Amino acid sequence: MEKIEITLNINDKPCEVRVFPNDTLLEVLRDELDLTGSKESCGEGVCGSCTVHMDEKPVRACLTLAMEATGTRIKTVEGLANGDDLSDLQQSFIDHGAVQCGFCTPGMLMSADALLNENPKPDEKTVRMALAGNICRCTGYAKIVEAVGHAGNPQDHCPDCKTKE
Amino acid sequence: MRLPRFDYLEPENLKGALDLLSTHRDDAKILAGGTDLLVRMKKGLLKPKVLISLKALNELSYINEKNGYIKIGARTPIADIVASGLIKEEAHALFQACEKIGAVTIQHYRGTIGGNILQDNRCHHYNQSEFHRSGHQPCHKDGGKICYAREEADRCNSTCQSDGATALMALDAKITLSKINGERTVDLADFYTTDGIMPFAMESHELLKEIIIPVQIAESAYQRLAYRSAIDYPIVCAGVLLKRSDTQKNEIDDARIVVGAMGRSPLFLAQASFSLKGKKLNDTNAFKKAADASMDNASTFAVHNVGSTLEYRCAMVSQMVFQALKEAAQAAVAAKG
Repeated sequence: MEKIEITLNINDKPCEVRVFPNDTLLEVLRDELDLTGSKESCGEGVCGSCTVHMDEKPVRACLTLAMEATGTRIKTVEGLANGDDLSDLQQSFIDHGAVQCGFCTPGMLMSADALLNENPKPDEKTVRMALAGNICRCTGYAKIVEAVGHAGNPQDHCPDCKTKE
Repeated sequence: MRLPRFDYLEPENLKGALDLLSTHRDDAKILAGGTDLLVRMKKGLLKPKVLISLKALNELSYINEKNGYIKIGARTPIADIVASGLIKEEAHALFQACEKIGAVTIQHYRGTIGGNILQDNRCHHYNQSEFHRSGHQPCHKDGGKICYAREEADRCNSTCQSDGATALMALDAKITLSKINGERTVDLADFYTTDGIMPFAMESHELLKEIIIPVQIAESAYQRLAYRSAIDYPIVCAGVLLKRSDTQKNEIDDARIVVGAMGRSPLFLAQASFSLKGKKLNDTNAFKKAADASMDNASTFAVHNVGSTLEYRCAMVSQMVFQALKEAAQAAVAAKG
């Protein structure tokens, strides 16, 4: 078995990598390209911490072969911010205290980002449905749901949104 | 977790895929979305030498209606089925089932309807890591001679936990299997062996190509019970179809009750279904009786192997069937207008 050269389009940059057929997208991102934002937790598609976008749709990087990802546009959590300029969603996570240990956060951000691209002002139920495939073991879903709902959409009644200004 | 080694092949069209499949047969597995296959491979339950990817086969991704039949390509992503107005309107049970498969971010964009039907049977003694399984003798499904789910069972008692298959069987769907020199169409209900080790009556060189649902003047509904509304597999689920009589508008002409996650395949319960014939659409008592009969019939197949206790799952069969029947009947009354 030998490595195969493929080109992946990651965060709008073409990346040439040599991969084994049994390498998952997550392994290539983390081990070959040093994009360690996406985390491996369960490794079997349950927890959601490895979520990345393929053609703007959230998918599990741990259950996607690198070979299958050729010809698609991949966006990882590193692609959310514009340089040092955090996206509204990322800033909202910080403002609302939605990050505890932080291990689920990259996955949460990617699932939420896909939702917000489709629906910029989701209600609570929609947010909870969109994040249903991401597990946080620090117990803090309430803050995360709030942060997603208020991202780029600050609420007058929310003290966390006010501190931003 | 690393995947075991394999060769990756990417045929350009259906013919290419069938060619490769007939060459490699048992050594090959078809990779569509991979959300079930790759998990099993990571756990060492499956070690195919070759994976044949359907990535380039866009010809197998479609939903259309022709001559009274809805046809769905086997590689159609779950998300496309959930988004389809046609499915929501004409095959409501399938819409409800697909909506509840796994979680949006896991299955809906990568996972396919074909993969959902062909997801392997599960058992909480079998679907474990290699390390866990190395601690005791292999079970029937793992190549051994023991069943941990039911004492002294001489065969595998794994459970089919597919949401899609349960709903499709209630809708009386057929499936088309392709191979290199021809294809055949079978009723989904006849597609299952009673063997938990290889639950599907298909050859190693056959490929699931299409799902065919007859459009009927009928209402369908699907109900499922799981620990967590997302991610988890159902521990009990039920799909029903109620057909109204042409002459007596508030009478049931025909019914189909299918219970999933209880046996080695989704269970079409003929006796319970037949008991609803000629009953009124608002006859809650008849629904209750049919639901109880479903519970009695389905319970004989179940073993304690997918989480929750057997007693609870059996009791909930009746609830799931009853709720699904009530929902379908309400829809039928509303449709009558």
